[in-house]
Parts: sequence; structure tokens; C-alpha cells
Amino acid sequence: MTQNPSRITLPILKVEGLTIYQGKYLAIRDVSFELFPGTDTAIVGPNGAGKSTLVKGMLDLIPHTAGKIEVFGFPLSRLGNLRQLLGYIPQNFIFDRSFPISTSELVGLGIGQYESVSGRNSSSVNSWLCKFRQIRRQQSTAIKVALQRTNAYHLRNKTIGTLSGGELKRVLLAYSLVTPRKLLILDEAFAGVDIQGAADFYALLNQLKLEEGWTVLQVSHDIDMVNRHCDRVLCLNQTLVCSGKPEIALSPQNLLATYGPGFSRYQHHH
Amino acid sequence: MTSLITNIHDLFNLLQFPFMQRAMIGAVLMGTLGGLLGSFTTLRQLSYFSHAVGHAALVGVALGVLLNTNPHWMLLPFTLIFGIITLYIIDQTDLASDSVLTIVLSGSLAMGVILTSMIQGYRGNLTAVLFGDILAIDHTDLILTLIILLISSIFILSTMRSQILLTLNPDVAKVQGVPVEVYRYSFVILLSLAVAVAIKAVGVLLVNAFLVIPSATAKLMSEHFSRFLILSVVIGCISSIIGMTASGLFNQASGPTIVIVQFLLFVFTFSWVRLRRI
Repeated sequence: MTQNPSRITLPILKVEGLTIYQGKYLAIRDVSFELFPGTDTAIVGPNGAGKSTLVKGMLDLIPHTAGKIEVFGFPLSRLGNLRQLLGYIPQNFIFDRSFPISTSELVGLGIGQYESVSGRNSSSVNSWLCKFRQIRRQQSTAIKVALQRTNAYHLRNKTIGTLSGGELKRVLLAYSLVTPRKLLILDEAFAGVDIQGAADFYALLNQLKLEEGWTVLQVSHDIDMVNRHCDRVLCLNQTLVCSGKPEIALSPQNLLATYGPGFSRYQHHH
Repeated sequence: MTSLITNIHDLFNLLQFPFMQRAMIGAVLMGTLGGLLGSFTTLRQLSYFSHAVGHAALVGVALGVLLNTNPHWMLLPFTLIFGIITLYIIDQTDLASDSVLTIVLSGSLAMGVILTSMIQGYRGNLTAVLFGDILAIDHTDLILTLIILLISSIFILSTMRSQILLTLNPDVAKVQGVPVEVYRYSFVILLSLAVAVAIKAVGVLLVNAFLVIPSATAKLMSEHFSRFLILSVVIGCISSIIGMTASGLFNQASGPTIVIVQFLLFVFTFSWVRLRRI
């Protein structure tokens, strides 16, 4: 499960001394951590701890005051085509539920604009149309497979506005696995999914992690699920309070340090 | 009945005239352009934006008259600059975009009115800007509209997935490597230009109908994005053809007739969708 220290692996994600101010308010202070391939890491912490801010700062969606971020060994601005290997699902991916788009079209958006699903082909002018058709076929197969994996294939022709909350989450997960990724960042992607649904998600993530070497970073509120399924936990409250294996990082003392005295683990409701 | 037949006869005679042919082609081009850009305009909540930018055209035309230049050539750069500045202000402040748009709209309207009052003598240009005259469009207008339509089609169709993703969630689009800012500003530039060329034909007051009504009608009937986009373009195009024909048949002003056709299509679609649901 955990990294063998004797094996030298380059981190998939490296965050060093990240500090983020929102206006005059210090939201994130000096956060450093590394994610290694094939791991599933959760960021936990109370409301307002800066979990989403940290994720957005890492992805350059909001400016940071200090710190360095490297994804796949490159700074984000120099990622180029490797961006395709990075998946991000924020808390409120779809805020306009009346958007006229079908489930399969939404999943198709996960495939980049010019990428074909199975890597790049050398282009020749003669067979351009043929190639175009081939790419179209590959893409629709990829969409089908992704929807089947998340158990949402029967929803393919529905408009996103008619999906239930749980169905939409499944579709968004299909969106993120329609092309192979190396790093998947989920910001409370499973919030509002029932226990069985969440368990299915974790099983699928686990499969992607073990079989395809995906690295997963997720912001989560569900301490019990994190405890059961993640390899590593980062406890955040403005800064990194503690990190490590769930059984250590989520010990009563560490939870107290992260959440403050008001928190009792077994009475945690949503 | 006989009057209708004479009317139809008149219509065919009318279509022999080059100005009528130009008007017909112009209306179809503008309807298509409106449907195409309108699809993303409504989804990105930019419909009030194009409305505000349209009013900035008043200032441009009044200035053009005062400076003794062709007012219609002042229109294009003016709406364009206003469009870009407005988007920039929306991006740079915490104000809600409708506040910024109201500021821009009222400011330019007030400036337009004062500038117009300074114009000595004939003020025919002002009514032309407010209400437009599709029968007055010339070859240059047609070519300009065609160029903007071509550029818009190439731009939107070749970057379709990125455009949809950017509309759904700019953050996710950014992470996937979509040049969000470049695409947003490019779209607003095309939108401002489209508004500017359409103003001569339909006027400031009705130009927004071309962007909003066909795409809103298409949205009522669409469960797929591809269908939404195609329907929006088709409805824009068909309303122009029906509207121009009807305006010839009943001898009514062309711009308003087209807008009435768009409106009726919307009402019809709305009722149809409602009834089907019952």
C-alpha cells in the first residue's frame, strides 16, 4: 500500500511552502506535501479550514503568495499536453442544471479538444477523413466504457437536468475516467451520495489506483470512509496539522488538533 | 383572397429588386449568425451584455455624425471597444455583472442622447440606429456579415468541446488546459461585431432578439447540445426567411416582422412543450 522508501519514485504532485492570501485573510499557510504514484490521499478538516482553497491554489485557479507546485515534475504553466493526464472535479461542477447537454456529451467533454482516446496518431492528409471517423468511433467507445464502469450507461441520453444528485456524481466520475489520468483531484465529489454509492465509488477508485496506477487526491468530509479506503490523510486547518496513515492521522489527539474540542468522531453527522 | 394573390404577385416582383435580394440574404445571414452566437450568449448569461453593447452604438453613431464621418463605420470600433472594456470591468470588480451592464448601458445611452442633441439639422440617423432598415443594407454590409459569420463558425465549431466546458465550469476548463481568457474575449469580440453589423438592419432596440429568442426556443426543445446548437441556427435562419416574406406580403417593416416571427415560434414551442408534458 504505502511507498517503499528504498524505491526512488518521483512524486506525481509536489507542493512546497504554499501560502495563499484571500484579500487580507491568510487562508493557507506554508503547506507542503508530496503525492506518490498509485496512492489515494484525503484532505480532511473542518469547514473554513481552506480545503477547497488549497486545491484551487494548487491548480493555479487562484493566485498564491508564496510556494511552489509541481505536477508530474513540471510547474503547471509548463505542463502542455500532460494536462490531459490531470483530472479535476470541483464541488459545484455543474451550477447550471438547465444546461442543454446530454450525459454522454458531458462525459465526452473529458476527452480533450484534439486528443484521440488512444494516444496520438501521425496525421496524413489522404486518410484524414478516415482518421476522423476512427477517432470519433474511439471516442464514443471510450464514453460508453466510462459510463458502464460507473454504472451510468442507462443514463446516456438523459439531459443532465433530469439526473438525481447521485446519478450526476456517477456521470461526473465517468467524465473524469473517460481518458486515462495520472492524477485525479476530487473536491468533495462524493458529498451527498448514499453509503452504497460512496462504497462503489471507493471500490472503483481503488481499482483505478491498483490496476492503472492512478494517484487520487480528494477533499472529504466523511472521516469513516476516508479511514476505510485512503492510504494517507492530510489534516488541514489553515496549515497542515498532521499527515500520515489514517489510523495515525485520524487518532483522537490529531482530530482534536484539527477540528478543535467540539468534534466527536462518532457523532459526526452530515 | 384576391388581395392576398396580388400581394403574392407583388412579393415576387419585389424579389426581383436587388435591394430586396440583398435584404433577404442579409436577414438570413444575420438570423444564422444570431442563432449560432446566441446559443452560447444565453448559456453564458451574456444576453444583457449584448443589449448594453448595442446601446453603446448610439454614442458611436452620434459621434460619427458630429465628426462628419460615416456613422456606420464608427459603429464597429465603438461597439467592439465598449464590449471589451465592459467585460474587463466585470472581471476586475466584485460587482454583479448586471450592475456593471446597467452602468454601461445608462452611461452610453445618456451620452448618446446628449451628443444627438448637439447634432444640427437632420437627425434621421438616430431613428435609423434605433429601428434599423434592412432594406438599406449594401454589399459591404453583406460581405462584413458573411465574414463575421464565417469566422464565428470556424471559431466555435473547431473549439466546440472547450467552449462547452468553459461555459459549464471555467475552473475545470482551465485545469484541462483551455485558454479560458482568450476564448472568452474572442467570443465577446465576435458578439460585439455581430451586434454592430445587425444594428444597421434591425436597430438597437431589436438586435438582441436575434441572439436571445432563437436560442431560447431551441433550448426548450433540446436534450442534447448538438441538437440545441443546430436548432438555434435553423430557427434563426427560418425566422428570417418567414419574416422577410411576411413583411413583403403584408407590407410591414422587415426587422420587426422577423422579430415577431421569432416571438411566435417561441410562444408556439413553449405551448407545445407545456401541452406535451400534461
